[in-house]
Amino acid sequence: MSNFTFGGCREPSEIAPLAFVRVGGLMGAVTMQSAIRFFPCAARPVRGRNSLVKIAIAILLGAAVAASAFPSPLSARSSWDNPPIPSRYVAPARQSVIIRGATILVGDGGRIDDGDILLRNGKIARVGKDIASSGELEIDGRGLWITPGLIDVHSHDGTFVLPLLDIDSHAGDVTEGSDINVADTWIETAVNPQDVAFSRALRAGVTTLQILPGSTPIFGGHAVVVHPVPAATLAEMKFPGAPVGIKMACGENPKSTGGKADHKDWPTSRQGVFSYMRASFQAAKDYLANERSGHAQPNDPKKAALAGLLAGDFRLHMHCYRASDLAAMLDLADEFDFRITAFHHATEAYKIADRLKAAGTCAAVWSDWWGYKAETLDAVRANAPILEHAGACVMMHSDSPAVGQRLNIEAAKAAAAGRRIGLAFSAEQMIRWTTSVPARALGLEDRIGTLAAGYNADLVVWSGDPFSIYSQPRLVFIDGAIRFDRSDAEPYAATDFELGRIEYGEVK
Amino acid sequence: MAAAAIFLLFHPALLAQDFAVVGAKTWTMTSQKPVENATIIVRSGKIVSIENSGTVPPDLKVIAGESKVVTPGFFNAATQIGLIETGAIAATDDRASDWDRLGAGFDVSRALNGNSLLVELARADGITGAFVYPSASKKMPFGGLAATVKMRNTVEILDRPAASLVAYLGDGVWKNASGSRAVEWQALRMALEGGSRPSRTGAADKAEMKPDDWALSRVRAREIPLSIFADRESDIREAIKLAKEFDIRIVIIGGAQAWRAAGDLAEAKIPVVVSPALNLPYNYDKLGARLDNAQLLARAGVEIAFGLVGGRISSNYNAGLALREEAGIAVANGLPYFAALRAVTTAPRTIYGVTGGILTEGADADFVIWDGDPIEPSTLALKVYSQGIELPTSTRQDALASRYLEHVDKKERR
Repeated sequence: MSNFTFGGCREPSEIAPLAFVRVGGLMGAVTMQSAIRFFPCAARPVRGRNSLVKIAIAILLGAAVAASAFPSPLSARSSWDNPPIPSRYVAPARQSVIIRGATILVGDGGRIDDGDILLRNGKIARVGKDIASSGELEIDGRGLWITPGLIDVHSHDGTFVLPLLDIDSHAGDVTEGSDINVADTWIETAVNPQDVAFSRALRAGVTTLQILPGSTPIFGGHAVVVHPVPAATLAEMKFPGAPVGIKMACGENPKSTGGKADHKDWPTSRQGVFSYMRASFQAAKDYLANERSGHAQPNDPKKAALAGLLAGDFRLHMHCYRASDLAAMLDLADEFDFRITAFHHATEAYKIADRLKAAGTCAAVWSDWWGYKAETLDAVRANAPILEHAGACVMMHSDSPAVGQRLNIEAAKAAAAGRRIGLAFSAEQMIRWTTSVPARALGLEDRIGTLAAGYNADLVVWSGDPFSIYSQPRLVFIDGAIRFDRSDAEPYAATDFELGRIEYGEVK
Repeated sequence: MAAAAIFLLFHPALLAQDFAVVGAKTWTMTSQKPVENATIIVRSGKIVSIENSGTVPPDLKVIAGESKVVTPGFFNAATQIGLIETGAIAATDDRASDWDRLGAGFDVSRALNGNSLLVELARADGITGAFVYPSASKKMPFGGLAATVKMRNTVEILDRPAASLVAYLGDGVWKNASGSRAVEWQALRMALEGGSRPSRTGAADKAEMKPDDWALSRVRAREIPLSIFADRESDIREAIKLAKEFDIRIVIIGGAQAWRAAGDLAEAKIPVVVSPALNLPYNYDKLGARLDNAQLLARAGVEIAFGLVGGRISSNYNAGLALREEAGIAVANGLPYFAALRAVTTAPRTIYGVTGGILTEGADADFVIWDGDPIEPSTLALKVYSQGIELPTSTRQDALASRYLEHVDKKERR
């Protein structure tokens, strides 16, 4: 899967490793694998400018070339193009833990029956059978199942804040609605950590989620990746050093706002939407060329964001449903030489499984949503199974605080639809759709989504088979710290919103 | 003549086959325990017997049920399948009366479309019946008259028209028109007090009354329940008062905060239709929504059924799968298994006054053969029977999936 696109990192915590890669290049002995392992955010296989192949060439040619050939994501072209909020996430104190005798779904397709897992210093130290222990807290995992923490690549938690308020009907925080292009916005500046949806996601086994802007504009702005943990500010939830995504939308949503009183100059058709995209990317291409050649130009945050997309600094998450829309976007991406990380919703992805496979673009899908608008009418529950069968990249997503509590059941329902048409999937295959595949879509595949030594200790201990409706998370670990324990006297921490209001939580 | 011939051609008794299902774990719903390794004998669309390891008469076709599970066909207690096909096309949306002359009397049974893809999909998911409700009309606080439907392999799915009068209280439904939910309650009381007042026994002639008055008269005569969509505890308690003062039957639909009034609802014998998965406060009426609402209500002795399942999208577009998923969620959060099965079979049919939902001698052979536990959403309905007739379970989605799966496989072979 080396043909996936990866965005650059802009986080302060990544400065040191990136600088070291550049120096390390002079040492001339950094293998690709070790580069990925140690410099997860800086050295990534990409088709675009930051590719390891190019880095390897740069190593051969010397660091001086590297400096010009690979504009560092850190040497930002414009201050507008950097995340406005640094991560202040800190994992709580944790002790070393060993869980023994559980059924372990590794996340990458592997399975270990009667397996042990050792967590130390917030990382997974070992996964296997009969692991020797040395005084760690022992948890009896017999009868229990362990999976990586679930990852939701499409959430609006914290911006679609429940309960909805009157003001949300005309001035909500899901999307900035002043323009068809709000690529310069950063959703992290809007997130309200007191949305109850975060707490529900955590207790449902979600350890990482990507908050995307909405799909009314064509260019929706920058996404943010968070842990759904209790916090007073977004910064304390923000995943350190996660690549940054940008949201775009095609089809009915962006076109349907055009022509209305407030938006008379927005496109009103698919062809209008694509024409707008093309013109915008051409302008961004020129902007990027000017920037690279050092020509002075007015600072334009919207163009800077799209130039960042073209430069491979951001990962593109596209809201699209219809096969013809997906295909047109892939053509546009070829024309301007950018990569689409994932199509979200993609209800007709199964119709062009081969093209998606060839492009290395993933589909993030529901199990069963359909019918509510025209571009969903050809949705099939077997979407994910057909894509998987075809060898394309597929994962489950939520787009909803309700579905976001049942990503495991989304996978179960999708797999059942596969069974209906003769495609069978094992639990160890199904778990990929909510763990290692979304980790890859977020550019975090070397840190989360798989239970292997060196990975972040993000995992869920389930009461049983995670694809059964009766199973529930018993323990949820993030970075080795227990963030949810169903056996606590009061397992459900009230959000600030719930505190002092009508009773919350369920009787055990 | 022709009509009679067509009637005979499609009469269930003529289409129904005689057969036996052998070996399935069978939930008859007449006992808390299933019949293991059951032999179900069906003749002329009726169940003749269900016995553990029963013998099969030699003349009967045998359907293998080993490692399968049989239940009565499931029933969704609050959905709008048959009234809408897609949100993309207003012409397929018949859920609400926008005519100011039809409020309480708006009768959805005139608009039911058994050919809708939503009906086909629900049937394939093991749903054989549903309570189909109207959305809010222009006459506060009413939606109109709901109907129950019964899945058949024809456009005709109506089972019982005017099964209940539907009203919406609170939740902001009438906010622009009412200004206060007190107005909504007063409007409801005024409607119940006003109009012609037929006696309990001598129900007024429908022809002599305006539809709105007739609908209200059915409620006053206790012939049909008043189904009140409400979530907030204060509204639920207002409904309890209304039931007592007017001596009418009430069903609460929604009931996010019903758990806070569980004892009083049980005492007033007011059933509650809940969505077991609702644990998010979409609005202020739903603060405190919790996953064990169903369990707390059942424990207090409230009759519960499941509806509004799957949220705004799946409550209609996946009325079958969402029902099974949420029944499972109720069990995962403490509701006994049998109570969950009741809430999707017998209970809603009892609440809305239609037969079925139990498998017993002489009952219609309306049941589903599942390939596993039916309230696991990953379980599939293998065969769905209505009055002994096997209903089709292939859907347009299946046709699309097969077409493109074939494309994938052809490309692989090349």
